Amino acid sequence: MEPAEAWRMTDSLHAEHGKGDPFAAAIRATRMAMIITDPRLPDNPIVFVNDAFCKLSGYDRSEIMGTNCRFLQGPDTDREDVRRIREAVAERRDIAVDLLNYRKDGTSFWNGLYMSPVVNEDGEVLYFFASQLDITHRVDNELQIRNEKAAVERQVVERTRELTEALAAKTMLVHEVDHRVKNNLQMISSLLGMQARTIADPDAREKMRMMLDRVEALGTVHRQLYDSGNVTRFDVADCARELVTDLVHGSGRNEIRLRLELESVVIAVDKAAPVALMLNELVTNALKHAFPDGRAGKLVVSVEPDGADVRLDVRDDGVGISGRSIDPKSFGQRLVKTLGRQLGATIEWLPADPGTRVAVRFPNGAGKEPVKP
Amino acid sequence: MSDPLRILIVEDEALILMQLEMLFEDAGHEVVGTAVSEEEAVALAIETRPDIAFVDVRLKDGTSGMKAARAMRDIAGLTVVFLTANVRMLPDDLDGAAAVIPKPFSEKVFGAALPFLEECVRRPPPSMDRPPGVRLAPWYLERIGLRAAQAAAELP
Repeated sequence: MEPAEAWRMTDSLHAEHGKGDPFAAAIRATRMAMIITDPRLPDNPIVFVNDAFCKLSGYDRSEIMGTNCRFLQGPDTDREDVRRIREAVAERRDIAVDLLNYRKDGTSFWNGLYMSPVVNEDGEVLYFFASQLDITHRVDNELQIRNEKAAVERQVVERTRELTEALAAKTMLVHEVDHRVKNNLQMISSLLGMQARTIADPDAREKMRMMLDRVEALGTVHRQLYDSGNVTRFDVADCARELVTDLVHGSGRNEIRLRLELESVVIAVDKAAPVALMLNELVTNALKHAFPDGRAGKLVVSVEPDGADVRLDVRDDGVGISGRSIDPKSFGQRLVKTLGRQLGATIEWLPADPGTRVAVRFPNGAGKEPVKP
Repeated sequence: MSDPLRILIVEDEALILMQLEMLFEDAGHEVVGTAVSEEEAVALAIETRPDIAFVDVRLKDGTSGMKAARAMRDIAGLTVVFLTANVRMLPDDLDGAAAVIPKPFSEKVFGAALPFLEECVRRPPPSMDRPPGVRLAPWYLERIGLRAAQAAAELP
């Protein structure tokens, strides 16, 4: 049997003592770079190196033997990787680490290092065995993928920021437009209101006031749409409450009592303006014609959903249809008819005994939109 | 009117300012000043000591009605009412203002709001119902004793 240290003498395949050890010969001849260090000697020097290692590192065997492996390290070698290797050596355990190393000519390569202790029967560490594999190609690929991923992430962040800014700009624009529309509506009613004050002829002044009411009804619609925070839905009950209360109080007719029977009905936004104008006409009409000569009475306005339809009732206990002097060709009447046509509404003028009931029914367009889950 | 309100109008839109002036004077109140900017508003409020200031939130040259109102908070006996097309931009406590009237408002809203505000200022708590076109700050409701009255009215 050969002594345990026999491989030391087998640096040449032709060496006498190594011939009997096929493992030593295989390690010397393999394409995998390998070294063995002796931790029992000062500074854990290299005591064996194979040809593949010489080829990988570019150093001659004579330059390598007896030195510590740290000569492979260079300026960009990660100090943390080096620390982990030192720790593994100190703790006598194996370690796998991808390390940036340098060849003799100064070029760098990624070293897939695997190092493990060789222990004898007494548990004493005799050697460290290390294999090195040039994994530059793999690491470069990984780095490239990582860089590409980072680039994509940067693009996502950038795009998200752009979209957020675009949304903020759009929101600001909507606010600005909303503000201007409201201000313009306010100015139109200011003009009408001020002009009305200066008109001496009572009939003409009345007509101007009615026009002011219509513009103000549109203003109410716009205000409620934007204050609700949802510009696509419009509640007829909310609109009726404000509009009708305004009209009755504004008429100065304290002898007319108002009763509101309002159930929430959300309609499509394109119906908001015609509904508000219709309501304005019907209530104005009742206030004007149902209670002549300071006659006292009660006005009942109701809003309710009825299947796919919306029902809107304006009821008074005044003089009744026969007693009213309604000109079917008047602007107000024509307006009601036109708005009814736009809404697809049926409008009935019914005797309420006493008084009159106007029953309006129109399909609720809001139901046509697909319901979001 | 026995005791007309002394009113300051702060509004940079000339037409609306003119309309408000007419409305208030028609109702028998006294408009003691009109301002179009923040600076002017504060100076006039200190000088004229009005009972009520109606303050538009956006003023001339980008100045702020809210800042003006903040400066007016320290003037004793002055009630600030905001006029604004951007009610949702205001904080819930109206930043010290008593009430807000959203734009666009109708003349009828002011017809109802003025007698109500007059009672709030002169003889709180007011006897009439709050008109729908006026929103009051929670702190002001408490100040004029409306919160307690409302709570009592809601009892079964």
